[in-house]
Amino acid sequence: MFKKMIVVRLFLILGLLCSIFFAGCGIFYKINYLDFSFAPQKKTPVWRVEAHLTYMPTAKESKITFARPSKNVHFKILDESIIAKGFQTKATNDSFILTGSPSPEQQDIYYRLLIYDVKENLSVTEEEVPSVTMPVLDDETLMIAKEILALSTSDEEKNQTKTLIEFINKNEANELVYTYFPPQISLKEKAEKIIELLALQNIPARLIRGILLEEGKKSFSPDVMIEVYDKEKKGWILYDIQTAQKGTPLNFIAFQKGNASLFDVAGGEDSSIKYSVLKSLNSSFSLAKYRAKNADKEPFFNYSIYNLPIEQQNALKWLMVFPLAILLVVILRNVIGIKTMGTFTPMLISMALVETGLLSGLGCFALIVSIGLGLRFLLSKLNLLLVPRISAVVIFVILIIQYFSIIGYQMDWKIGASALFFPIIILAWIIERASIIWEEEGLNHAVKEVFNSVLAAILIYFIIENETIRHITFVFNELNFVILFFTMLLGTYTGYRLTELKRFAPLVKRNKKQAKRKK
Amino acid sequence: MFLKKFVWPHELKKAGVLNMNARNYRVIGLNNKRRLYPLVDDKVKTKELAQTVDVQTPKLIGVIRAQYEVKNLLSLVKGFKSFVIKPAHGSGGKGVLVIKKYTKNYFQTASEKVLKYTEVYQHISNILSGLYSLGGRYDEAILEEMVSFSDIFKDYSFQGVPDVRIIVYKGYPAMAMMRLATKESGGRANLHQGAVGVGLDIKTGKAIAAVQHNVPLTHHPDTKADLMTLKVPDWETHLLIAAKGYDMTGLGYLGADIVMDKNNGPMVLELNARPGLAIQIANQKGLSHILDEIDTYPQNLSPQERVDYILNRKK
Repeated sequence: MFKKMIVVRLFLILGLLCSIFFAGCGIFYKINYLDFSFAPQKKTPVWRVEAHLTYMPTAKESKITFARPSKNVHFKILDESIIAKGFQTKATNDSFILTGSPSPEQQDIYYRLLIYDVKENLSVTEEEVPSVTMPVLDDETLMIAKEILALSTSDEEKNQTKTLIEFINKNEANELVYTYFPPQISLKEKAEKIIELLALQNIPARLIRGILLEEGKKSFSPDVMIEVYDKEKKGWILYDIQTAQKGTPLNFIAFQKGNASLFDVAGGEDSSIKYSVLKSLNSSFSLAKYRAKNADKEPFFNYSIYNLPIEQQNALKWLMVFPLAILLVVILRNVIGIKTMGTFTPMLISMALVETGLLSGLGCFALIVSIGLGLRFLLSKLNLLLVPRISAVVIFVILIIQYFSIIGYQMDWKIGASALFFPIIILAWIIERASIIWEEEGLNHAVKEVFNSVLAAILIYFIIENETIRHITFVFNELNFVILFFTMLLGTYTGYRLTELKRFAPLVKRNKKQAKRKK
Repeated sequence: MFLKKFVWPHELKKAGVLNMNARNYRVIGLNNKRRLYPLVDDKVKTKELAQTVDVQTPKLIGVIRAQYEVKNLLSLVKGFKSFVIKPAHGSGGKGVLVIKKYTKNYFQTASEKVLKYTEVYQHISNILSGLYSLGGRYDEAILEEMVSFSDIFKDYSFQGVPDVRIIVYKGYPAMAMMRLATKESGGRANLHQGAVGVGLDIKTGKAIAAVQHNVPLTHHPDTKADLMTLKVPDWETHLLIAAKGYDMTGLGYLGADIVMDKNNGPMVLELNARPGLAIQIANQKGLSHILDEIDTYPQNLSPQERVDYILNRKK
């Protein structure tokens, strides 16, 4: 008799374990590769960098070269586009090349870049030792340079580059520094001069141009940094020439390495470029698609919920919380033992409560049911047949909802406006059942059953109303397999229900008393 | 204290209390085949089956199958002083109307309520449209002769119909109780409506214990009769009728509701494929151990042999 049950249980436990394993893998994957999170409101900043180039064509043919950031591990590119009317665009690894023969009027060319997941990256790619080109300087300048170097490296040599930049920045008023770095020079020129000084010490260094991601930034020149070859690490390390900070700043996007300019216009004049940076916060979720693409997991992603249109996603998000609510109903009935009207009635009420808010929803529910019961009482005097009578109750409910909505809207009365969200048929059945129980077993029983159902509905409400829970059941919807197997496993639960511990209590108590008497 | 009303699961287990989940899963699920349910869910069929094994049931006056037949009510019951209207697929006594006396326009029920003809007409319409049937299907209304209750139980019941419920497991009577109507239960014998349940000794039919609303008591709350003196006469016939329920239906776990007729002796009122668990409280005894024991009893005995087996066992 019990053998079959044990086999079924083992099978279901196996299923439960498998589903937990599957869900675990799914969650691990989604957190690590798609950056999903258990918190519902996680936002990812997306940076929009725009370079706006204007120039006047002078020749028949124009050729424009834009530097583009090379594939990098410390940020991800969401989208990259060139908007240039009448130009042909060719993309290479580190640049866009535009060719065309525009009309002789001012040309506007936009280069747009959307960047997300900007992360710190401390790794250094190994490269061979580059050769150092000795700067060509006149004697006087060389003298000053040597003196600056001597001054800046007077203490023991820890980090020559860092100390050099710090020295220059701190001692702007120093005569030598003032001469070597006149205040009117641009950042680019300053960087070039620092590279010269480093070259004199036989340290290879190069210019880096890019954009510092700062909200609302507008600038006519790119940000300049230098990269210095580290002989120990055998790779390039970035230095901020303004702060002497070592290592790539978190918000720096390098476009161009070396001396070539960021953009190049051949066949035109009066070219100018303007950079602007905008930051927007997108939900992590909406970027999942691009993450999957970057991780080469696109086919997998295309067949998941997250690739559906937003309306469908929202509908599914609502649907995905149902299994949990159903599990709760099972627990309430088979483990706790609360008797409710209809199996899923409480669940449907609680779904409505989520839409309306708890208090106004409950108020509205109570009002509709009591008005409905009153009408149903009048209806019973007419001696109608069952089906037409229930149908009449359904129509009553619809009319009540209609007037509630109108009154609720006009008087800005939240309870009235809630009416629309309740399932009509469920309300009608609750009214019909309650009135029959009232007639047959008295008002007490009727109130008790309605009360139990509402109580169960409130319990379920508190679970499914929770934004985090809804987010988790949707985003990590593999968990629904776990819920499925757990529900089925509860189907073999043959233990006592909580309410039975009270119901059958007199049985045990009497036996105890008898046992005492015997003693 | 609130928690004092509860007991630990292991205490219930020790007392052998059968719970709802276990009843559904182990007892009903394994012993009652789904296809056999219609035999007991349809009371007309039950009556026909009972005839095949010589078990008496209240005499069938007629069946109202469709709405247009409802108006024939008075002509159908012509010649019967009293009658009972019940849904063919009802359960738990829902929709049962006992008419003690009637005229053309007024009907007096067993609980002394007077109903108008239109109300009775409406009641039958409700039955037909499935209000009381299991699962809300369209139903039929059965008209049957009212049992002329034996006076023996007169003092034990407030109005209404006292009946004996016997749980039959694999053909063996397992546990029995008598249900007595009270003022609170409105003349009905349903325990959850406040009727008194009296546990009966399965071998003798004598009262063991009594409860109302799960609370033990010794005297009937309305008639003040001492419930512990209750003894069901002709007990062996009761057991035999119950045991035959198994042969009639093939249901391994069933509840037989038996009433005592003044003239014809015990007769089956209805059989139930999902009898409730309140009988354990009325008996102050769990059902599990008894079912486990019956599992060891011989199979393939005749109803009479099974009853003898129960009567002759040592305990």
